[in-house]
Amino acid sequence: MQSSVRQQLLSAFSKADGGFVSGQALAEILGCSRTAIWKHIEALRQEGFELEAVRKKGYRIVSKPDKVTENEILIGLETNWLGKEIVSLDTTDSTQKEAHRLAQEPFKEGTVVIAEEQTAGRGRMARQWHSPKHTGIWMSVILKPELPPYKAPQFTLLTAVSVVEAIREVTGLQPEIKWPNDILLNGKKLTGILTELQADADRIHSVIIGIGINVNQLKFPEELKEIATSLAIEKGEKISRSHIIQEILKRLEHYYHLYIEEGFSDIKRRWERYALSIGKRISARTVTGVLHGKALGITEEGVLKLLDDEGVIHNIYSADIEVEKKAD
Amino acid sequence: MKVQEIRELIKLVDQSSIAELVFESGNSKVKLKKSVSGTYAESAAQPAAVQETAVKPAAPVQAAPAKKEEAQPAAQEAPAVQETPATDENLHKITSPMVGTFYQSPSPDADPYVKAGSSVSEDTVVCIVEAMKLFNEIEAEVQGEIVEVLVKDGQLVEYGQPLFLVKPQ
Repeated sequence: MQSSVRQQLLSAFSKADGGFVSGQALAEILGCSRTAIWKHIEALRQEGFELEAVRKKGYRIVSKPDKVTENEILIGLETNWLGKEIVSLDTTDSTQKEAHRLAQEPFKEGTVVIAEEQTAGRGRMARQWHSPKHTGIWMSVILKPELPPYKAPQFTLLTAVSVVEAIREVTGLQPEIKWPNDILLNGKKLTGILTELQADADRIHSVIIGIGINVNQLKFPEELKEIATSLAIEKGEKISRSHIIQEILKRLEHYYHLYIEEGFSDIKRRWERYALSIGKRISARTVTGVLHGKALGITEEGVLKLLDDEGVIHNIYSADIEVEKKAD
Repeated sequence: MKVQEIRELIKLVDQSSIAELVFESGNSKVKLKKSVSGTYAESAAQPAAVQETAVKPAAPVQAAPAKKEEAQPAAQEAPAVQETPATDENLHKITSPMVGTFYQSPSPDADPYVKAGSSVSEDTVVCIVEAMKLFNEIEAEVQGEIVEVLVKDGQLVEYGQPLFLVKPQ
């Protein structure tokens, strides 16, 4: 964690939105001397910020380093509480594991754990997630909604909607959601979301949402080439990771409140707008077998409805979905 | 009487060692009889507002979602509510806090979290229940020994459905 002086400093620059902030103003906001301000500015430069200093005008941030540290995320973050507490790590085994460790102790809701690199990134069912340094967004968000546990699964769809909209906003690309929360671009995997719940019978202790996004990788290992892609590959240019993170956190906070206050229906509509498999013939693989049929949509709870060849509608809670290649 | 009240009654009878209960309130009368061999309803032979109901031993009382449609892939077993064997009332039931798929181990190749005979403490993870890729690690919440695993790996479980019987220590 960094000092609150640092946070106030970044918040002041954030409000100026690329404009100048005078040394005097900074000194007043932070309640310290102009010499102390100068030291903080130097510290930011050391971290890769490019700062312009003009006499009688003050300081202005010209560019941020392409890192995903606390500073990067806080400048320009438009949330009230989500992501105000950031644990940024250069390297970790997995941000999800780190978030679990944090959630053992009293934690602040909305804490975000983020790393430049994961050495043991994991997906569902302990599958590995390829997460090399400085290229992607590897983060976990700790929430503690006042909801009974059976209302928690909708968070996976809610998160997928937040991520898709953030990517559309920043890049203009139009990724699609594969039920319930995989995000694909041109049929290749862009984002994985892993959500874990700790709860008593009637009360949620924590919901930890792990989000892995391929952002600036330009190539993938042989075994992933055909199934994975990145924003940079699809867009043909480098994308600011911190900008994507900020847009995700903003939406996550918004939909979180919307879900708790008004329920799932608006989020469901959005989810369906981005869904790739609705109306298509799919196969649903579960631990006990494979089911084939047409994806009809989702229920008010986000459960997938599949119409099989005998005309029976199945409510699917758990499965890996594939869109079948042959014509319907 | 409201349906909710009848449900409450069923729940109470179900969790008790009482075999039969007659309950009167206003002009309603409900007679509940616990049948050992499955479901059975007996309506009271009273004229006014007789309400029929069925008691199924150890059945979760909460309404499961979307019952009209067949739940979960055909390849899976129907999410039939498991009937627990002659329940020793001293045994603790670990129930599912949500509808979802029961997984006995953290990954398909791994050993189960617990088996019959395993010792558990309050915070021992006994299984995962997953729905829409939200993974819920279920803890024992009691110290003791697992007597029986009531559901199979990959089975869809209902809200409130008993998953394990634990002999508390």
